[in-house]
Amino acid sequence: MTAAEQVRSTRTVLSAAAVLSALLWGAAVALATVGMAALTDWIVALPQGARRLVLAAGIIGGIMAAATVLWRARRVRSAERVALWLEERVPALRYSLVTALEVCDAEAREPLERDVAKALATVAAPTRAAVLKAIVPPAIAVTASALLTATLPAGMIARVRHPNPSDILERRAPAGRPLDRLAPLVATVTPPAYTGLASATVTDPSSIAAIQGSRVAVAGRGTSEGLDAWIGDSSRTIVPTRSDRWQVEFAMPRIPMGLRLRDGNRERLIVLEPRPDSVPVVTLELPPRDTVVRAPRGRLPIVAQAHDDFGLDAVWVELIVSSGEGEKFTFRTGTIGRVDAAGARDVTLRTELRLDSLALGAGDIVHVRAVGRDRNDVTGPGVGASETRAIRIPRRGEYDSVMVEAAPPPDVEQSQISQRMLITLAEALQHRRPTLPRSTVVAESRAIGADQARLRRHVGNVIFARLGREPSGEESQGEEQEAGGGNAPLTPQQLLAAADSATQVTAGAATDFGEDESPVVAVNRPLLEAYGAMWDATRALDIGEPGEALPHMRAALAAMERARAAERLYLRGKVPTVIVDLNRVRLAGKLEGAGSSVRTPDARLDTTRAQRAARLERALDLLAANPSASLDSLLALRVDALGREPALAAALGRATEALRTGQSATEALLLARRIAGGEPLQSTTPLWGGAW
Amino acid sequence: MSPFTFVTLQYSSGDWDSAPLVPANLIDSVARYTSLDVLPTGVMVPLSSSDLMRYPFAFLTGHLPVRFTDAERARLTTWLDRGGLLFVDDHNHDVDGAFHKTVTEEIGRVAGPLVNLPNTHSLYSAFFSFPDGPPTTSQELNGWGDNLVHKNLQAVLVRDRIVVLYSSKDYSSEWGFHPENKRFQSIDPTRFGVNVIVYALTR
Repeated sequence: MTAAEQVRSTRTVLSAAAVLSALLWGAAVALATVGMAALTDWIVALPQGARRLVLAAGIIGGIMAAATVLWRARRVRSAERVALWLEERVPALRYSLVTALEVCDAEAREPLERDVAKALATVAAPTRAAVLKAIVPPAIAVTASALLTATLPAGMIARVRHPNPSDILERRAPAGRPLDRLAPLVATVTPPAYTGLASATVTDPSSIAAIQGSRVAVAGRGTSEGLDAWIGDSSRTIVPTRSDRWQVEFAMPRIPMGLRLRDGNRERLIVLEPRPDSVPVVTLELPPRDTVVRAPRGRLPIVAQAHDDFGLDAVWVELIVSSGEGEKFTFRTGTIGRVDAAGARDVTLRTELRLDSLALGAGDIVHVRAVGRDRNDVTGPGVGASETRAIRIPRRGEYDSVMVEAAPPPDVEQSQISQRMLITLAEALQHRRPTLPRSTVVAESRAIGADQARLRRHVGNVIFARLGREPSGEESQGEEQEAGGGNAPLTPQQLLAAADSATQVTAGAATDFGEDESPVVAVNRPLLEAYGAMWDATRALDIGEPGEALPHMRAALAAMERARAAERLYLRGKVPTVIVDLNRVRLAGKLEGAGSSVRTPDARLDTTRAQRAARLERALDLLAANPSASLDSLLALRVDALGREPALAAALGRATEALRTGQSATEALLLARRIAGGEPLQSTTPLWGGAW
Repeated sequence: MSPFTFVTLQYSSGDWDSAPLVPANLIDSVARYTSLDVLPTGVMVPLSSSDLMRYPFAFLTGHLPVRFTDAERARLTTWLDRGGLLFVDDHNHDVDGAFHKTVTEEIGRVAGPLVNLPNTHSLYSAFFSFPDGPPTTSQELNGWGDNLVHKNLQAVLVRDRIVVLYSSKDYSSEWGFHPENKRFQSIDPTRFGVNVIVYALTR
């Protein structure tokens, strides 16, 4: 073996040893990090967030250790450094090895090669020693780390390697105490498939909130023997999942209930908070209101919006056609415009109703509404519907009495937009007024006033149309007046008088619009107010005072908005009032077959809140003497409050969570007490009931 | 105490005023058979009106489809929560009719599903005794409407108390005559109405 070959061979052995050493040190550091973290977690529970970092820290530490070892052994790549390393450990070489590598002349190198050959037998020993020194310590470290991790309980490494909320069950029980099978607990909630939501795990919960119908699994430590579980009055089966684990599984009920777990004389209550899957919210945008059509012809556009929290299955329009009168009615039903939503959360339905296809007759009513169905296949499907619009075909005798504006766009809403524009113009003029000469202000103000007057006539026209007069009556009079004609436009008083006359309400009573007002006056009332306000606004604008006109203009706008939002008109007329002569009846009365049992009035129906408040007080009284019982009472009260008093339930939830985790619950309990006490009661409702 | 006031509910769809003589007839019976303090005439209250909260009992009838508005639904829910009792009668006497289908759907949305009311319920002994359950009507016996004699009324019960009472028997027609004509009847058919009102006021 020549000197060069010897050096290459040694360099290869040393390099391999360095790499192996780096790997062993890296593994030892990684194992030690995980093992020490697991040991620490065993002694004092580490939070889940810290445990999530352990594996990454171990890997990074291992890589850094390996890199450090490799860096320190970097000289092994140089043949000269390896030759010098050998010269240092084998003095008999007397630098012949280094010199032989440097001398290129073969004749000069020959004696050097001979010296090297003589010393070759002694080179192997320091190389072997160096290899052992590089490998043995990290091998021992790896073995020790492996032993550490192997001796820890099985679940402890898993808690560090794959931290998750349910691994709280893998924690060791406190030394010297019997195993508590009711704490900690882990609840796994699996929502129904149609929701598309992922499973969730809750650690040691005092309440579990989930969509109705979700599968809930509550698991704990220890065996299942001797454990009992109830939801309400219904017993649940507890099954062992392995030798030291139990689990109870159930579907989330439809109403708030308590899951009661009992282990001997110990008990634990967990509140089950079902979250309902909301039914679809459906809004019918077109037609926007009930209407009457003179003849059953044409196409009626229908537009509806539907929204669902988890996704819609289908949306359609439902029709009911009622025919007949008096005691004889017939009905037809049908659907149109069905849209398969395929799980979309928002759907717009657009279709049209061909009235002539329904073969409608006089007096028939078409009831139209949009219906949406969600994909709830567990507790549903949930079906939501819009408000219903009634489209009526009047009878011949009703032509002069049924006055309902046709489908959109109604005239009043157009006026409203215009009124807004006029207000904007007047506000702008008022704003510029200090910078404008008086003549300009008056001119512009009168221009706005002219528009306002035209709008007023338009509103008057709508009122006249409703009153059954010629629609153009007031407007034509106004035009004539503006053109210098003889007739002046109607003042608000004259218009009211016309309304009185048309609806047969006596003069003077019309402005009060009491209970006896006719439906036609009732629906026109805000329009009449708008008309009057516009009149005042026009007067102020005509004298160049836009600032004075603005309050009247805004009042007119508000009145028109009220007219637009007015409740439906009951068109059926007044029911005849029959007054019973009570004295006469009682004098002639006979008592036959009446029961003789003594009746006592029931308790007031609004005592539920008072009962809850009393229960809360009793639970609070228990708090000092028996915290566990108090906590159970508060949880039970929360179950009761979840359906009816969500604010109280939320406050109790915070309080119970604070009590369970040993934090201050004072604030939450004060809030709960305030909510349970309710508003100071002041009776404004007359007492109900009869004479006994 | 305020005197009892008979309330006929106005709802926005349908013919809510299809039985105009029923209020007077039942007021007459309440005055005739009981010592309840009662107003001599009934009132019509829009279902969406807050005035409804002043009364513990309301009557709803009609032939046409019943579709409540959101405001009506909200008001009715609150009213029932606060102890009101709603008596609904199908003026069609027809379980397949539009009134029945639509009003039961609305009741389901507002108060919950209707269940058959057992004929031993305390409603049938609240004042007069009806050991066989709800009295039959001439509409049933003459085969009108769905040609059925309904053995039970239906109801929504909250803690064993009726909050909605539903009848397919067409009491609206049976009781739809002027109270002066009671003297021509051998048995006053409105006696069951007294039970409903007394139940509403005492339970």
